[in-house]
Amino acid sequence: MARLVVLGGGVAGHTTATFAAKWLGSAHEVVVVTPNAKWNWIPSNIWVGVGQMTKEEVTFDLASVYAKAGITYKQAKAVSLNPEGNSSSDKAFVTIEYTGQDKDGTSENIEYDYIVNATGPKLNFDATPGLGNGEGQMGNNTVSVCTAEHAVHASHKLTEAIEKMKKGERQRFLIGTGHGMCTCQGAAFEYIFNIEHELRKAGVREMADMKWISNESFLGDFGMGGLHMKVGGYVVSSKLFAESLFAERDVEWLIGAHTSKVEAGKVEYELLDGSKGEEEFDFAMLIPPFAGVGIKAYDKAGEDITGTVFAPNGFMKVDAKYDAGAYENWKASDWPRTYQNPTYSNMFAAGIAFAPPHLISKPMSSPNGTPINPTPPRTGMPSGIIGKAVAHSVCDLMTKGESAHLHEASMAEMGAACVASAGKGIFTGTAAAMTVYPVVPDFEKYPGTGRDTDYTFGEIGLAGHWIKHILHFLFIYKAKLNPGWTLIPE
Amino acid sequence: MIKEMVQYPKPLSVEFGVNVRHFNEELFALIEDLKDTINENNLEALSAFQIGNYNNVILVKNEDGSFLELINPSLIAHSGKITTEEKTTYYGELSAEITRFEKVSLVYQDVDAKNCSLRAEGDLAILLQRKLDYLFGATFMQKMSADERDKFELKLEYGSDIGMQDYCPTTFFRDKILKAINIMMLLMLGLVIGSLFVSETTVVEKLWEYQLYAIGAVFALNIFYFFYAQYEGKKYVSCTSCQIGNILGTLFISLIKLSLLSLLSYLLLN
Repeated sequence: MARLVVLGGGVAGHTTATFAAKWLGSAHEVVVVTPNAKWNWIPSNIWVGVGQMTKEEVTFDLASVYAKAGITYKQAKAVSLNPEGNSSSDKAFVTIEYTGQDKDGTSENIEYDYIVNATGPKLNFDATPGLGNGEGQMGNNTVSVCTAEHAVHASHKLTEAIEKMKKGERQRFLIGTGHGMCTCQGAAFEYIFNIEHELRKAGVREMADMKWISNESFLGDFGMGGLHMKVGGYVVSSKLFAESLFAERDVEWLIGAHTSKVEAGKVEYELLDGSKGEEEFDFAMLIPPFAGVGIKAYDKAGEDITGTVFAPNGFMKVDAKYDAGAYENWKASDWPRTYQNPTYSNMFAAGIAFAPPHLISKPMSSPNGTPINPTPPRTGMPSGIIGKAVAHSVCDLMTKGESAHLHEASMAEMGAACVASAGKGIFTGTAAAMTVYPVVPDFEKYPGTGRDTDYTFGEIGLAGHWIKHILHFLFIYKAKLNPGWTLIPE
Repeated sequence: MIKEMVQYPKPLSVEFGVNVRHFNEELFALIEDLKDTINENNLEALSAFQIGNYNNVILVKNEDGSFLELINPSLIAHSGKITTEEKTTYYGELSAEITRFEKVSLVYQDVDAKNCSLRAEGDLAILLQRKLDYLFGATFMQKMSADERDKFELKLEYGSDIGMQDYCPTTFFRDKILKAINIMMLLMLGLVIGSLFVSETTVVEKLWEYQLYAIGAVFALNIFYFFYAQYEGKKYVSCTSCQIGNILGTLFISLIKLSLLSLLSYLLLN
């Protein structure tokens, strides 16, 4: 019996573990190591953050689901990897530290035959002074919707702001990215328009000054270098689409911005033109930058090989071309296909945990040398697809031997669907539903935009909201491994 | 080389605009084409999109005759709002009221791919924003308010800014009055047909009473229609005579229908 260890229980990790457990059956063991007791459908955190859903509606307990699937569940965080074993054993192992199951703080070495790193990101709040508390957690100056707990906190703060507005006190909202190297602009985009929607519902929109701050070099970049969508037979850029939405909803914007410091009620920023400024706020939700979770790696002699296994940003190196050079040399083929670590063939990474070869958006920096550009999104649908492909590969390696063909899921050959909420309501909600193909533009195959405009389309409206709401139930149903879960696509 | 400038109603030959990735001979040739086309047509500025090229390139002619080349320009910050009457070469002499940012900050690359920035205000800020409209495949129509866009679409339809107030709109409020009259007469007809299934005399008497009120109301609405339609028609001088003819004809038909319905009601309900 061989053992597969999956680090992380988010979209990528959960997909990898559950499919692997299904395909491997009882012949092999699947172990999931995740510090969380609950699974969280993160896209719906936006609605928790505006009080339209509860934390319980977007989370569920993992233990019972993994017990049903025959997966060994360890509520712990991975600390280090020893892919060559140590002085006393040749067997690869991962060192974990429990965060629950009544073993908090206890360490354990788990030997593995194959390991999939799907830890997701570390929310690197401390990268921006004042955004974090100095101990790796969110500070008191802003709110976040990155976790369900953060979203509940954000919802309470929003309620307080609405109460103040009802009493005649004007409020300034600042939503966007909290650093020049953030990703997940889409989540902040959803949140600002959901807040705007809630303020209108509460009858206090006129009392709010709303501003978007982002590291994108143009509105609608979303970390993907923007996209062109087919809308009603016309090709429309996401830039135009976003600009129109901001104008219609009367939301001011500031882009090309690196948030350099956060204080109570104030942020300092640097723009792409090198200028610096300040923005005051009463309510701010600023997405933190992502980093790897900080797993160390050691060779058999105990020497630190973290730099061999992981990229400098802490994400795991996979079969990507990391020396692609300047922007004009970037190709679709730079992007990984199998997500196998180049040094250790029994090691894979999926979802946010893999190190991308480079940005998708055009790299930009201020005259002061500060990089200000969105980093590539690897969440949602791509995470699930990559997780499933990696599960396929690992299962084949375990059942057919080391010569088994590895399954491929390049983001440069993969389409993705995204539904961005702009307000919740059965009859008043709106969301932008869009598909993009491929996620990473292929300028050789599709000269010009790098994408196939026949498969890249979008629409905003009530139907989009219904789709997002249906997807909420559908993906939680799937993640709970309810009957027919394998039929629901990633 | 002087390029043909795409002008409405000819559709733009490209549907999208993209950032320049390669600073090569192709880009330099495009810049020369833009310069030649600007000089030939005596323009202030030109976006590559306007000569059928999808690259995000804008050229602005300085007062001294030199050119400012903006490659991959992006508006990152702004302040203030200003509304002015604007024209753009794609739509010829047609103008529209557009609200722009008063001051803008741009980042862009020069011909050597060096990152640069620019702050502008007043006329230059407006000009740059109008040229930026074309990037990523748009025109200044997308920057108009909904009302202004409706007006501009009419201007496009008639090909002129002048005498717009003399054209007849395609829908009038009087049409809504007519719709209300027709719905009411339909309900009255339903009431007459429904009465065929009622045998109790007291109910039929009650129905006749309702029908009388309805006849009165529809007649009054017809009178209101006649006077309001004339008032509305006078707002559009160039087509008043034709409207008056229409109004009279429509009123005549409506009254004939009401008379027939009244007669039918009298015979069956009274």
